[in-house]
Amino acid sequence: MKLYEYQAKNVFSKAGIKIPKSVLIEKNEELENALIEIGVPCVVKSQVLSGGRGKAGLVKFTKTKEEATLETKRLFEHELNIKKILIEEAVNIEKEIYVSMTVDPYLGTGLLIVSAEGGIDIETLAVTQPDKIIKEPIDLRYGLMPFQASRVAYSLNQPKVVTKALIKLFLNLYNVFKKYDAELVEINPLFITKDLEVIAGDGKLMIDDNSMFRQPEFEKGQSDYKSVAEFEAAKEGIPFIEFDGDIGLMCAGAGLTTTVYDLIHYEGGTIANYLEFGGPHYKKAVKAMEICLKVPSKVILIVTFGTIARADVMAEGIVEAINRLKPDRPIVTCIRGTNEQEAVKILRAAGLQPLFDTEEAVRKAVEIAKGGTQ
Amino acid sequence: MSIFIDQNTKVCVQGITGKEGSFWTKHMIELGTQVLCGVTPGKEGQFIEGKPVYNSVKKAVEHHDIDASMLFVPPKLTKDAVMEALDAGIKKVVTIADGIPLHEMVLIRQAAKEHNAMVVGGNTSGVISPKLAMMGSFPHWIERVYKKGNIGVMTRSGSLTNEVTAMIVAAGYGVSTLIGVGGDPVPGTRFAEFLPLYEADEETEAIVIIGELGGTMEEEVADAIKEGILTKPLVAFLGGRTAPKGQKMGHAGAIISGGKGSVEDKIKALTEVGALVAERPRLVGKLLEQLNVPKK
Repeated sequence: MKLYEYQAKNVFSKAGIKIPKSVLIEKNEELENALIEIGVPCVVKSQVLSGGRGKAGLVKFTKTKEEATLETKRLFEHELNIKKILIEEAVNIEKEIYVSMTVDPYLGTGLLIVSAEGGIDIETLAVTQPDKIIKEPIDLRYGLMPFQASRVAYSLNQPKVVTKALIKLFLNLYNVFKKYDAELVEINPLFITKDLEVIAGDGKLMIDDNSMFRQPEFEKGQSDYKSVAEFEAAKEGIPFIEFDGDIGLMCAGAGLTTTVYDLIHYEGGTIANYLEFGGPHYKKAVKAMEICLKVPSKVILIVTFGTIARADVMAEGIVEAINRLKPDRPIVTCIRGTNEQEAVKILRAAGLQPLFDTEEAVRKAVEIAKGGTQ
Repeated sequence: MSIFIDQNTKVCVQGITGKEGSFWTKHMIELGTQVLCGVTPGKEGQFIEGKPVYNSVKKAVEHHDIDASMLFVPPKLTKDAVMEALDAGIKKVVTIADGIPLHEMVLIRQAAKEHNAMVVGGNTSGVISPKLAMMGSFPHWIERVYKKGNIGVMTRSGSLTNEVTAMIVAAGYGVSTLIGVGGDPVPGTRFAEFLPLYEADEETEAIVIIGELGGTMEEEVADAIKEGILTKPLVAFLGGRTAPKGQKMGHAGAIISGGKGSVEDKIKALTEVGALVAERPRLVGKLLEQLNVPKK
């Protein structure tokens, strides 16, 4: 789960990492009070989960109250449906540094990543100047050791007071990484101010989804989802993403669903939604179809090749879903796996024309979406 | 022959008394797997499928000569169960658990390396050498997927395993050993780490990897080919070629990050060293033919 900047910064602050003074607002009327506290110049930062906010014009430096008011209004009216804006004090920046922690799947360690070239896209830097990036593996049994934090900090050649602050920051950041089961915790940029203070200019915190059971602090509400369908899928634990194409996917397994997604594109089709109802959800066909039907689409394509998730059980679920929900659009099925012959019988008895080959099913769905006959 | 597991591999099942554990133990034995015993704390004295249950792995290895441990243990308890197997000196562990916390998977990978052991998984169906033995939850009875032959298969995806392997079999081939390394961002053992075993296996004449976007496992395979660790022909199928960038779709490991891991990068790395990449599952068999892999 990816947290918003303001949430990440709250976590940082509690962990002893300095953050700029800020006020979170949810409507234009709240700006006035926020500005009394923060003053101008200030930074108006929309709270969205996508990266590259600066380039997209979603973060604005404003010099006057009028400017701040205009930008706030513009952002609240933005098509991205921005619900929260962070009004943050402007900091006197001397230098920007990049800091993050993640895991190294190959080494089997944590990884502290630091670069003196902060503020820019680290992925670009990794390609253009990999030698400017310091990587310190962290043995997760012991955590980040003070000597490691110190070694990395000293290698940045900063004034002594900054170096000391950086050592503390790395250690504090590790505490966040560990406590919140982070997949990634990132400060980019980390400001070094003209007064030689070290302050987190931005905050990114991604909690490992498999660890959410022990992170009750962050539960998503309906407003965190793009649509009602996405919220309902999440409540059921069903992986689901909404797009704006023609074909609704209801497939089993991450790899297969992703492949069907590719095949549809190869055949010139477009996707209305991605949905997985395999694995632990294979008996949830009714719920899965209900979610699919909430998304505008021209056809629903069901592809499975079940192992533990038996084909006949899935077929029964699909027939039940059709009987109960009476879908207003055609359904293409391609159900294989354990007891597949039985599955075919069940689908035929319900008046469907089951297909047995993924590519054939994909072509059929694309044809229907393009206005062909069922 | 095969790799990792065959009819002679002596297996212990941790979590054997659970619903999943007992169900799949039955099927593992049915296929020919030598399951000698099981472990569930507090259930010592019971028998599952005629196999004795012990309170600890240590006790199991005191009574039996064990080569490998199969885990049917919930994700939250997996780290402990893996550590218990490693502590008892077992060098091959398979865990199918889906949902192992990331930081715990890192510790599992680290411990496996330190013990010079191989931990397969999690988030996988396991390992199967068709007609010989399996550790995991494969429907080995589906003949058009689990046919014995000369192709070594490795996969990150359970659902694609059936889709792609069915195509390999449809083209007239069969499988020597299929290893599901799993769909998590940190698998216990990575694709490239199995290559020396496949290279040494006489029965395996070609490798198929079923990969996807995200991570660098496919690139590591390309490196191994370049270094001569694998000299046998290799065909890859990679899912997620058209997946939107930055969108988490499919497996947790399947996201492009750190500027690495796009399917284009993987195709480039693999084709540069002479491997072939199939655009569609159906084409995997054709590419094996193109590489003159005999049908056995």
